[in-house]
Amino acid sequence: MNMYAYIIRRLLYVIPVLLGVCLVIFVLFNLVAPDPAFILLGKHATQQQIAELHHELGMDKPFFVQYLDTVKTAFTFDFGYSWASKQNIWQMIKAGAGPSLSVTGPLFVISNIVAISIALLVAFYRGKFIDKFFLILSIAGMSIPSLAVVLFGQWFFAFKLGWFEISGYENGFPDFIPYVILPVILYVFISFGGDTRFYRTVILDEAYQDYVRTARSKGLSELKVMFKHVLKNSMIPILTQIIIQIPYLILGLIFAESFFSIPGLGAMTINAINNSDFPVIKAMTILSAVAFILFGVITDVLYTVVDPRMKLK
Amino acid sequence: MRNIFTTVVLLLSAVLLSSGCTKKQDVNEKVLNLVSPAEIKGYDPIQADDLYSGREISKIYEGLLQYHWLKMPYELVPNLAESMPEISKDGITYTFKIRKGVKFQDDAAFPGGKGRELTAQDFVYSIKRLADSKNQATGWWVLDGKLAGLNEWREKNGKLPASNYDEEVEGIKALDNYTLQFKLAKKFPQFMYSLAMPFTYVVAKEVVAKYGKEFINHPVGTGPYVLPIFDQGKKITYTKNPTFREKLYPSDASPELKHLLGDAGKRLPLVDKVVVHVMKETQPAWLKLNKGEIDYYSVPKDNFASAIKDNKLTPDLAKKGFILEIAPALDVTYTAFNFENKLFHNKKLRQAMYLAFDEKKSNELFYNNTAFPAQSIIPPGIAGNIKDYLNPYKGLKLEEAKKMLAEAGYPEGKGLPELKYDIPDSTVSRQSGEFFQQQMAQIGVKIKIVTSPWPEFQAKVKKKAVEIYGLAWGADYPDAENFLQLFYGPNKSPGANGSNYDNPEFNKQFEDAVVMQDSPERTAKYEKLNKFLAEEVVAMFGVHRQSYILEHGWLKNYHPTDLHHDAVQYLNIDTAKKAELLKNF
Repeated sequence: MNMYAYIIRRLLYVIPVLLGVCLVIFVLFNLVAPDPAFILLGKHATQQQIAELHHELGMDKPFFVQYLDTVKTAFTFDFGYSWASKQNIWQMIKAGAGPSLSVTGPLFVISNIVAISIALLVAFYRGKFIDKFFLILSIAGMSIPSLAVVLFGQWFFAFKLGWFEISGYENGFPDFIPYVILPVILYVFISFGGDTRFYRTVILDEAYQDYVRTARSKGLSELKVMFKHVLKNSMIPILTQIIIQIPYLILGLIFAESFFSIPGLGAMTINAINNSDFPVIKAMTILSAVAFILFGVITDVLYTVVDPRMKLK
Repeated sequence: MRNIFTTVVLLLSAVLLSSGCTKKQDVNEKVLNLVSPAEIKGYDPIQADDLYSGREISKIYEGLLQYHWLKMPYELVPNLAESMPEISKDGITYTFKIRKGVKFQDDAAFPGGKGRELTAQDFVYSIKRLADSKNQATGWWVLDGKLAGLNEWREKNGKLPASNYDEEVEGIKALDNYTLQFKLAKKFPQFMYSLAMPFTYVVAKEVVAKYGKEFINHPVGTGPYVLPIFDQGKKITYTKNPTFREKLYPSDASPELKHLLGDAGKRLPLVDKVVVHVMKETQPAWLKLNKGEIDYYSVPKDNFASAIKDNKLTPDLAKKGFILEIAPALDVTYTAFNFENKLFHNKKLRQAMYLAFDEKKSNELFYNNTAFPAQSIIPPGIAGNIKDYLNPYKGLKLEEAKKMLAEAGYPEGKGLPELKYDIPDSTVSRQSGEFFQQQMAQIGVKIKIVTSPWPEFQAKVKKKAVEIYGLAWGADYPDAENFLQLFYGPNKSPGANGSNYDNPEFNKQFEDAVVMQDSPERTAKYEKLNKFLAEEVVAMFGVHRQSYILEHGWLKNYHPTDLHHDAVQYLNIDTAKKAELLKNF
């Protein structure tokens, strides 16, 4: 099948997915989420004010009309204004994307490089001391709650040793750098265990294949076998694992942003949930859904590049 | 390939070296570093219904009146008003003279970008803006039903596509550029307090018109600091307003605050820059305080034991020059009964439950034993609180509680249905819910804990969908009316009376008391009402909390306060002392 036709067909899936997403967020907002009027109007709100606000926000329209409004938003990407901050939502996203990416970008690159390199190393030395050492380190990384890592990291590295900023953020390059180093390091450690174990398993699966034995019997060096054959052939699950992380880069790190006072999209989303700020919740959910679909398509296309045996159907 | 790798590593190293891993503080700069433990909702005075937004708004906007910085109990003094108002004999008409020469901050909304002079018309506009139902102001309650003709204006204009701000309202008139007159719908002496609240701060019509919906993020006031734009970030930086009028640090003080007169007569504000760090998590804020990066912070619950022993600072902190400030808050915590449920009309049941509750243990568990037991609803520091009064139904008296429960018709809790106890879903609320459950179990009262996120919890109270619930109330202004109204019948849910208590006799006495000017007679009436509510056990009053705040030795003029939203302009930094003390960190 022609690659372009495949891409177009996959992109068309966006339509039913977005309709479904709209339905889910609409139902959740109307059935589960608390009434935003009580948050927006404060402790002295009267019944009349609540009714007026419902009218202003369009919450007194029939459900079907409200659902259509949500669908319209999803397909036009016109998210409007936040109910809580009254800011234009696209401006809020633009302002939050930079701080989020300044943490998630380096974290994504470093954590994957570290995890793949160590996975290759431990696969190469499987069963030896170095493999066992990283196994223990990985299990420790996976077992310690991320909250404990962050609390200890802030206290020890930033407060006791004074190597990094405790929290905060400055906009602009390179001003933001001192504020993102510590969260990046701590989150590399937090994600290290799971990622390394996953990549090690993938690489070892490949390392026991017949063609690897053939390569070795031909007299190729272990380095060449690992990098040229094993790594290349392990790329399908590695690519999937890497690309699936990309939409999360855009969404930001909710917990880290709160602890390190980083004004990113994660913190913005959490605020919106706390304030029942439906337009912002809607915008972030729709953008996430679209990002997942887009990166799913990119992953499929990349499969054919790294493995010519793969065909797009 | 190797060359590319080397170049990338070198470039990264250069960037890291040039930016550094930490930023150095400039100790010679007079900068205040403060913490806001909650997100700021924006800078529209009419929406300033939370303490933290109120504090930020007050750095930029001002009102007619303010609380004297160095007087306790709280005392109203003129701010944008030239003097205190002239009040007509019938207590209905208040006439203010506006201070001349006050300028709005420079902004593109004004011709040539230069802020114009403040006039009485600006107050008329700002009050109407608060009343305009299209603005959905959270602060409307302060004037609801208070000014002659304003509710009618609100109702009429609410139905129009655009509100008519030129239409005259009897209750608020600009007699000339510098004379403003309020006419009340009925006597209400607490009206004066509303003029010191952020809701009634003055805004300029041109600025509202220019920024429209985004006015909330473009603050332009007459106050001591400027903030060109609010971007909802985690760090808000204010700079001194270059056109701020000549306003001086007070030269008189209450005896307990006389030590803060060091800057008397100096021009305000005293520091050049204020940086507010929005930090919801307590650990990073506590670490920043201990590193000297913020100037004061409330001691977090989890750090209390390591910072304070016997109401004194630990030697470690004292050595670093920290000062501990302990101040009672104007608040009360309480467990409310919903009187819509006939079960709670049984006074003996309410009294039995109160007698079974161990408030000493509760204070120890949830407040590190730092709070005052609340004998009634009005906190100390507000006229109407009865000094040395002991509520006969407060404190653990199990045998008496059991006897009372039997008299209520439920011996050992038999025949009493399981009662739902609603609380917000935070960890501490959950713990306090479980404690309440244990306490009631001692006399056979079964409690089911129901947790909900805070907005949903609020919604349930407003919809009367609760049986018993726990809450705290902080003063909006220092008058007993603000507390007693929580049990005033016409304020039933969705109003502030979430208990839905409605006693015609209490309502009448309340109405009589609140229209009186501050006087010994009014205080006596407030005390009577206060005692009545306490002994009726309309709610199980818990504690009046205290603030434990740690400030650095270099911070000058600070004292903890609940109602001085505009405190920052009085604070100062001793830069030499800061440089000296920081050597110990």
